[in-house]
Amino acid sequence: MRNYSNYFVLLLLCVCLPFPAVFAQNGPVPAGADALSDTDCGITLSGTVTDHEDRTPLIGATVLLDGTQLTSVTDANGHYHFHGLCPGTYTLVVSYIGYTTERLQKAVRAPEVLNFRLHPDGLLLHSVEVRAARQRTQITQATGQLNGRELAQTHGQSLAQSLERITGLSSIQTGPSIAKPVIHGMHSNRILVMNNGVRHEAQQWGSEHAPEIDPFVASELTVVKGAAGVRYGADAIGGVILVEPKPLRDSAGTSAVLNLVGVSHNRQGVVSGMVESNPAALPGLSWRLQGTLKKAGNSKTPDYYLANTGYQEQNFSAAAGWTRDQFGVDAYFSRFDTKLGVFSASHVGNLTDIRNALQRERPEPEADFTYTIGVPYQNVTHDLLRLHGFYKTGTASRLLFTYARQYNIREEFDAHGDQSRPGLRFEITTHSSEALWEHPLIWNLKGSFGATYQYQFNRYEGRFFVPFFQSHTGGLFWLEEWEKGKWHVEAGVRYDYRHLQAKLYRKDTPQRTGQSELDNQLLTPTHTWQNLSGTLGVIYHFGPHLDLNLNASTAWRSPTTSELYSNGIHHGTGTYEYGNANLGMERAYNLVATLAYVQNKRLNGEISVYRNYIDNYIYQEPDTVPTLTIRGAFLTARQKQADATFTGLDVSASYQLTDHLLLATKASLVRAYNQTADEYLIWIPSDRYENSLRYSIDKLGARGVFAQNFIQISGLAVARQKNVPDNYLARDYALPPASYFLLNAEAGTTLQLGQQQIEIGLIGRNLLNTAYRDYLNRFRYYADETGRSITLRVSIPLNF
Amino acid sequence: MKLFLKPSLAILFAATVFMSTSCSDDEDPAPVNEEELITTLKLTMVPQGGGATVTASYRDLDGDGGANPVITGAQLAANKVYDVTVQVLDESKSPAEDITEEVEEEGDEHQFFYVPSGVNLTVAYNDTDRNNRPIGIKTRMTTTTASTGNLKVVLKHQPALKSATSTINTGETDVEVTFPVTIQ
Repeated sequence: MRNYSNYFVLLLLCVCLPFPAVFAQNGPVPAGADALSDTDCGITLSGTVTDHEDRTPLIGATVLLDGTQLTSVTDANGHYHFHGLCPGTYTLVVSYIGYTTERLQKAVRAPEVLNFRLHPDGLLLHSVEVRAARQRTQITQATGQLNGRELAQTHGQSLAQSLERITGLSSIQTGPSIAKPVIHGMHSNRILVMNNGVRHEAQQWGSEHAPEIDPFVASELTVVKGAAGVRYGADAIGGVILVEPKPLRDSAGTSAVLNLVGVSHNRQGVVSGMVESNPAALPGLSWRLQGTLKKAGNSKTPDYYLANTGYQEQNFSAAAGWTRDQFGVDAYFSRFDTKLGVFSASHVGNLTDIRNALQRERPEPEADFTYTIGVPYQNVTHDLLRLHGFYKTGTASRLLFTYARQYNIREEFDAHGDQSRPGLRFEITTHSSEALWEHPLIWNLKGSFGATYQYQFNRYEGRFFVPFFQSHTGGLFWLEEWEKGKWHVEAGVRYDYRHLQAKLYRKDTPQRTGQSELDNQLLTPTHTWQNLSGTLGVIYHFGPHLDLNLNASTAWRSPTTSELYSNGIHHGTGTYEYGNANLGMERAYNLVATLAYVQNKRLNGEISVYRNYIDNYIYQEPDTVPTLTIRGAFLTARQKQADATFTGLDVSASYQLTDHLLLATKASLVRAYNQTADEYLIWIPSDRYENSLRYSIDKLGARGVFAQNFIQISGLAVARQKNVPDNYLARDYALPPASYFLLNAEAGTTLQLGQQQIEIGLIGRNLLNTAYRDYLNRFRYYADETGRSITLRVSIPLNF
Repeated sequence: MKLFLKPSLAILFAATVFMSTSCSDDEDPAPVNEEELITTLKLTMVPQGGGATVTASYRDLDGDGGANPVITGAQLAANKVYDVTVQVLDESKSPAEDITEEVEEEGDEHQFFYVPSGVNLTVAYNDTDRNNRPIGIKTRMTTTTASTGNLKVVLKHQPALKSATSTINTGETDVEVTFPVTIQ
């Protein structure tokens, strides 16, 4: 013991707990699992199960009507319910791991609401982890989740492509290998990605910079749609993506998972494995190792291959934690390492080259299939080290610390000149720390105080695009929740301070003089910003099935270094981009209302409307005068600010047609308007509609060898973007592409071979092999999107 | 074990974290951006059968943006044949770097194109790459009657694309400049 404690003293130096933590595996109860009795007298018995001390809902708690076969499992909000009961006396048995089981006898004559507050069972060994695992605050903002099998079905896709399954999300792509998530029409610097509780920091100045995260580390992806600046920091004006790994194992034993994925259109192969253990001899210790290898060749559209669009990834992560009743520490390290080919046909020079490319029916050069990646390509490595710990300051109160270091290297190899070294190499180092205190419950208020600090340093080698800079960002926040009866109220406030110093030579600025003495002068402009963020939200539970969420939030964002100081040609888009050192900060005011009708036998759905008003929205405006260079003319783009609004609607609904057939529909619409110029903004996702029909059957074959079977067919319709400014071709090279329809299908089963389970999924995308182009693909000028693609994935869990 | 469980110590550790984070990197960028830069395109035109050599040049010494380029056009004599050599230079370095050599070495994936407009001038290639395709570093220009117009010079990078069918519209533009030309 002594040896271990010394080791962990070191770890505790800088530690914390996964704050949005990890969620129990139980999703909403499927309609078929609703408790039904033989005779239906129409009485509903429902309520919530919460923690007695901090009032957080317990997800996945079991409520049993003793003496009957009826059980109900609590949902994400801690709700349970029984329908169609007849009058009588029932005994409810409420149990949850880590808590003392409660029994209550109740005579029921009319619909009744019975709430339970369970007491933690201090004697149970892993109660601390269990409580961490279900720590899940209800958010008054619109959110979306991807977990379990639905997440597994996205394996082989990038993070952004996976998230497209969530209503209101789309992605901005740069060819088939690079995709960035878009939430309600906003992306890049207006969205934060929280990877395992750490704000992901990398080069963020281009649409060709996808988040450097291995999707296989996540057991759940959560998207907060709307300004979430209070908890996650300034900049989160469009939303937040939470990438959450599974919590470390908390029961003795060793297990592993092997995932294999094959994708047809680019002949992609993926092997991903994970092994984790909690030794019986050392119950406080848990560890996990995980790794992914991915290799893909040229992607195929319906009619041709896309030259140089292969990519490779080698990722791994390691985690270890030590948890006792009173405290816990853990360490996590991950490396993401990728080599990405940049589509050859997109490597164009000046405006004439782009016009030539637009005239071609097929991209040049023609290509065959190959795994070889030639120039131009990108090499990107991202390291994350995270140390984290908690210390209990009371029964429902904890102190949490996190320290993280991220190191990102991005190398861009050009098709020109010396190909042994990158034409452009960036290194960005980010240190961040957070301290959080979850205070004890007072006056029904549950809340936390936090402080964050971040230091960032950026350097480059090669041609100039974004300068050297260092920044310091500090923040203080306070969040409270109050719950009583049908009401749940959330409020929070945050203060942030940011100091930025850039270092660049005058020759790399638009103020270049042409005289070498003046031009070689090092400039060190500094900027300081500070401001407040706030949030206020209410959930009103009309009943166990109907919730209304209302949220008003405000957040701000300071201009990025690239928006201030970029100066140069952005290859692939044929644009000479000028930064604007006079940009001010932008502020968002976000209103969202969500009505959720959930946990019903047949019809379930959610409708969410939002309006995001952004003061001084920073955007790139093409200049009518092109920039003349020795390589010819380039489109000139300058950073400007205007007042903008993003207004939209997300709808999702499902209807259980029979016990086995589920019909589901999704729609997302957004309108983005430049109020100052009185016209629509460009590059906003067009309207998307998706319908699906799913047939599920639990057991098939002799003794149910095939379990949890399903087959689904779905259609995705994406409209042409018609809400664009007049005189469109003065701002973009080509009009928005035509609307398109894609037919997709999926199937899955869990095979039981003796003691061994094997989960199999089959996904078919673009089954009709439709040739189409997407408005948000920056390479739509050059080529079609990928054609028909079949993915086969196998997941083999192993227990030792 | 008991010692480090004290909350006061935990706070101390947290403070250490915050302190360690606030390190600072005071590095300056390298004054020279290491990149391949083409600043200058120069045409040297030697008339056959004697006469004054004519030079036309496009110079943008500070690279893209910044100060405007300096363009010197050509005044050619009527009804003459000129042996023309093109040079591509990086004059931002000292001594100036001659990039023409690189183009010549990679002649099988580069080609110069000459497009006269409004001027009575014809251009013929006078060199070949290893595949017997023209490069256009050396050309022969023939003038006829007096006229005024422009000559556009385009250098295309056509990796794996240069062929019997490749044109000025194939590949990526490395250089595209236009000179005023007078024939008198």
